[in-house]
Formats: sequence, C-alpha cells, structure tokens
Amino acid sequence: MQATKEVIFISIKIGVPRGLYYYKHFPFTEAFLTELGAEVVPSSETTKDILDKGVKYCIDDACLPVKVYHGHAHKLRNTSDYILVPRLTSVSQNEYICPKFGGLPEMVKFSVPDLPQLLDIEIDLSRSGKHLKKSLYKLGHQLNIKNPLKIKRAVDKALTAHQGFKQSLLNGNIPNRVFRGEPPQESNKKYTVGVIGHPYLIYDDFVNMKLLSKLNDWNIKYVTAEMIDPHIINERCMELSKRMFWSSAKSIIGSALYMMDNSQIDGLLIVTAFGCGIDSIAVEYVENALRRYYKKPFIVLTTDEHTGDAGYNTRLEAFKSLLDWRSENEANVPAHGRSVYSR
Amino acid sequence: MKLTYPHMGEAYIAAKAMFDDIGIESVIPAYTTKSTLQLGSKLSPESVCLPFKIMLGNYINSINEGADTIIITGSCGPCRFGYYGPIQQQILENEGYKDINFVILDPPKEGKRKFLEELGKITGKQVIKPIKALRRAYKICCEIDRLNETLYYVRPRALSKSKVKAIIHAFRNDIVKTHGSEEILAMIQDTIEKLKSVPIDTSYKPLKIGIIGEIYTIIEPFSNLEVEEKLGDMGIEVHRSMTVGDWARNTIIRPVTGRKPYAHEKKLSKPYLPALIGGHAQQCIAHAIKYANQDYDGLIQIYPMTCMPEIVSRSILPQIEKDYNIPILYLIVDEQTGEAGYVTRLEAFIDYLAGTSKRKEMVSH
Repeated sequence: MQATKEVIFISIKIGVPRGLYYYKHFPFTEAFLTELGAEVVPSSETTKDILDKGVKYCIDDACLPVKVYHGHAHKLRNTSDYILVPRLTSVSQNEYICPKFGGLPEMVKFSVPDLPQLLDIEIDLSRSGKHLKKSLYKLGHQLNIKNPLKIKRAVDKALTAHQGFKQSLLNGNIPNRVFRGEPPQESNKKYTVGVIGHPYLIYDDFVNMKLLSKLNDWNIKYVTAEMIDPHIINERCMELSKRMFWSSAKSIIGSALYMMDNSQIDGLLIVTAFGCGIDSIAVEYVENALRRYYKKPFIVLTTDEHTGDAGYNTRLEAFKSLLDWRSENEANVPAHGRSVYSR
Repeated sequence: MKLTYPHMGEAYIAAKAMFDDIGIESVIPAYTTKSTLQLGSKLSPESVCLPFKIMLGNYINSINEGADTIIITGSCGPCRFGYYGPIQQQILENEGYKDINFVILDPPKEGKRKFLEELGKITGKQVIKPIKALRRAYKICCEIDRLNETLYYVRPRALSKSKVKAIIHAFRNDIVKTHGSEEILAMIQDTIEKLKSVPIDTSYKPLKIGIIGEIYTIIEPFSNLEVEEKLGDMGIEVHRSMTVGDWARNTIIRPVTGRKPYAHEKKLSKPYLPALIGGHAQQCIAHAIKYANQDYDGLIQIYPMTCMPEIVSRSILPQIEKDYNIPILYLIVDEQTGEAGYVTRLEAFIDYLAGTSKRKEMVSH
C-alpha cells in the first residue's frame, strides 16, 4: 500500500513559472511541495522565445515582468500537471504588493490557452500573519493531501528553507547563484554600486540584459535591497510623510535612501519596467530625494520588451565613466561629498 | 482659508454646496481643458496615470486664483491613488508653491485620531453643521445622477441636439454662480424639467452602450474626451456604470452605517475575480455582467494608461465577451490621446454594433 501511494505522489508535477516573486519565494515553494511528495518543475531561464510568447498572450499594456510571467506559464503547460500561480495579495501586515499580483491567476487563466489546472491559493497577510498557514493547508487539500501533520511538517521545512535563503542573500549572494549552489561574489572590487529595483527585474538576466554580470566584469561590486537588513529599510521608510502601503516600494525607497547615506557605495543604478505603477511613485520619490539632498551618481534604466542592447550598454558605460571620473578626481572631493569644481 | 479640490465630473457641485453650507470659502478649479493637462503633465512623473496629471493641473489653476488649502480623499489600498497626495505635495513644493496646505482624508481605519485632526483643520470645532452639510451634499449627488439619467434618455432621442447642449451648457455656466445647497438643488430640478420639455422622437429605438472602467476616467468628461456626449449625439443611449453619488454611497454612507460597500458587485464578479485587488477592478467586471444581463448592445471600457487594477479587469473582460456574447471596446487614455483616432474607433464600434443587433433581430424573428 505504502509503495503505491508514493508512486502516485511522485507522478504529480507542479510547474513554477520563473518570474515575478520566484526570486523571493522559490526555496520556500520548493521545500513545501517537495515535502508533500510533488515534483517541482521550475521553467527554464527566460529566453527570447518565452518573452515573445508572453507578449503574444498577455494584454498589451501590462508591464514587462507580467508579460514574461505569461511566457513562463505558457512554457510549462505541456510539462506539468499543475502550475502554481499564487494570488499574492499581500506578504506582510497592512501592506500590499501590486494589484496585478492580486489578479495574477485570472490574468494567466484568461489569457494563455490550454493550461493545466492552476494552483491559485490566495496569500493575504494584510490582516494577520496566521493566514499563511491557513492558505498552505488549503493548498495541501487542493493536492489531495488530507494529513494535517504532513502539511505541518512541510510548512516547517519550507519556513526553515526560506530563512536559510534569506540569510544567504543577506550575506551578499544573489538568488540565481544560491539556486546553483555558488558562493557569493568576491568583495574586493574597485567600486561598489547599489542596484535598486524589483527582484524580478534585477535577478532575471534576460530582462535586464545581464546587468549583474556586466557589472561583475567591470570590477564593480553590487549591493541589492535583499542584501540589506530589513530593519534598516523599515527605519528609513519612517521618513515618508505617509505610511507606504506597498512592500516593494518600501524596499526600493528604504534601500535607496540607505545606500545614498552609506559612504561605501559609490553610485546607484535604478532599474524599472515601463508602465510599472509602483515605480512611477517610488522611483519618482527616490529621484526627487537624490537630486535634492545627495550628490552621488545615479541612473534610472527603464526596460520594456523593445529595449535594445546597444543603447542600454551605452548608458551603462556612461555611468561607469562617471564613477571613474569621481574616483580619479577623488582628491578634489571633500568629506561632505561635493567636488570643489562643482558650484 | 480658501479651500480647493480637484475636479471629478460633477463632484465639484456637491463639494461646493457642502463648503458653502459649512461656511467655508472655496474655489472651484477652472474647468479642465487641454492647458490644465499640459500644466499637470509637465510637472508629473512620466509614467504616472492620467488622473494624477489632471488633478495637479487643477490645483495649480486654483492656486493661481488664490486657493491656499487643497482637500482630497486618500486611501491605503493597493491602487496608486493612495499615494497621490504626498507626491503631489512634494511636486508643488519643488515648483515654488509654498505654504499650500494639503488635507488628505485617509479612511478612519488608518487612525481615527488622525482622521479627526485632518477634518478639524477644515471644520474647526463645528460638528452638527458639517454633518448636515454632508447629508445635503449626498442628496445633491443623487439629484445629479437623476439629471444624468434624464440626459442619457433625452439626448439620443432629441429632435434637436443643440437644444440639449444649450441646456447643459447653461447649467454648467450658472451653477458656479450659485451659493448654498438650496439654490443648487433648485437649479438641478429646473434643469431636469427643461430637459424633459425637449421634444423627442419616442418611436426611435437607440443602441444601448454601457460605459465601464476606471472611476475617474469615466466620470470626468475631459479625460474620456466627452464620450457620453459624443455617443449621445450619434444617437446612442449610454449609461455610465459609476457616478459620484455611487462613490459617496459606497465609501462614506454604507461604511458609516455599518453596511458592506459594493456587496452586489462583489457577488456578481465572484466567478471571475474572487478577491479584492484594489481600485475598482471587481466593480468593472460586475458592471459588465450587469449590463450584459440587461441586454445592452455593447460596452466600452475606459481606463488610463498603466492603471494597475484595470489591466487585470481588461484581461478578464474578453472572457465575459465570450460568455455573455457582448462586444466590448477598450479605450486607453493618456495625455497623448488624439481625438480623431478616438472618434474613428467609436464610429467603427457603433457600425459593428448596428450590424450585430440587426443580425440578432433577424435570428429572433
């Protein structure tokens, strides 16, 4: 009896699209579903083909990451029995992510044809954190697992995996390297640059056109919001005149303000997607603050599905030159950060 | 203190009546025009949505007329609207409009004390007068809805469209000169009577189109290039799914009296979008279903470019199109929208509807 049950569980393949909050929650999902006996199949890394499929099926004026996500869901439709498309309404108390995350299962369901069944559990921690366990039990029930002890074990394992993942990010690693089991980047580089943006933009190598490895090749160390203690980010967000109700905007604003004050960071690189509603507010706030109070180089790169590699590289190189000039004329920059040549 | 507020359709009438009754001087911003939008979009972040830009233009117009306090409602939901206030305040400060007070009325659940403090900035120590004024303002909203319903019926059937236009134009012209809710209510009543006396062709059976989408862009006529008037002149009976009265009922009256807002809409939209995702996405879907059930010939969804909740409902609506067999035209507006292309699309849509409804009749007979 035991043996047959195992066989049934192993045959369930759950596809996880490699997009949006994959880069934040994949270890959690993997640990949870594997412990329940399912096989977790993440889609391959983003390619031109995936993007094209996403652009084809998704509606026109959605932002690039959402289109990419549609492409990944399309890619998984033949290779998995279920596709996990959670409704991430909120991941922390009194905060939301983005309305598109809340409607993601519907967007995918009604746009991409011939999909297998979607696992669309709602994760809404805006009222209380206890809701997470409830939704995970529901997910277990959807997969026909009735034993609450088994689900509890899986929840515990998932939480441990998530903690470990978060810790390795805090130690300076990035998700893709953690998934591959590689150590963090070397820390003795010439410059250190803060890279600000949503995790699905800065960690997806296709979407940002290998931004992080380009920086690496140029002898630049990068720091992202995930490498900064969340308490610091929360503290910096207290400066806002109104409570920020988007978790992602909080991490953008908080980390940008922190990096600007941190003297070890030489410049800021902000990556946004065209049409991103949250960035239109958060990046505006950050830009405004940076122009007003700080004198560090920063650049805002906007990506969409038409962005060309050449123009992008030129702008990055210009940013690099800015850093070079700063470093060469460093003797002329007094302690308060303003060059003697500037007015 | 000279108060001002942004435009949203006919909301200014209710707001003016309310502040008149409380005894606060208020400035109605100049009617939104292309120059208002230009003024706003010059200062706004590039990719923010259209209402932000128009509202910013309204503020500047009012400030130039001497206003020093701006009152808007806020929210802490997932939609961008909740953060309009702080960012607009920052922009105005940067542009050198100093000493402008911003009163942002966030929902009381964000902190009752803060809410009352903000409210106190406007009303001072008065309590009963503002409540009475609010009730009368709500009544005005309902009356305006009645006026609009009459207009939707009369406009396509009127023998002389210019007569209707003249009445509405006179109304918009004279309403800013009135003072207090009594006069305004009388004027609305008067306008309804005038509209009813316009000779109409009762045998004419117009096509019926429902307008759904993002609340600001469907209520504010400038932002949707006066789609109601355009369609009405083409002989189409339109109905707009959301009104200022509706909004007041569901965000102020119902929560205060302990009832659930948008209960019916939530029930209707459940099969398609079971969760609240912010903005009016659920309501948009519910209204589409409601109009389809009422045998409307077609629907037009209007929303500003990059509107997050409406993008979700936009991707669900094609399914409703199939399930309920109702054609939907999607119009996305921003400051680049040109009128000619817009009108062409409306005309094409109407031709299509006329064709399908004729076919329907042939099948049923």
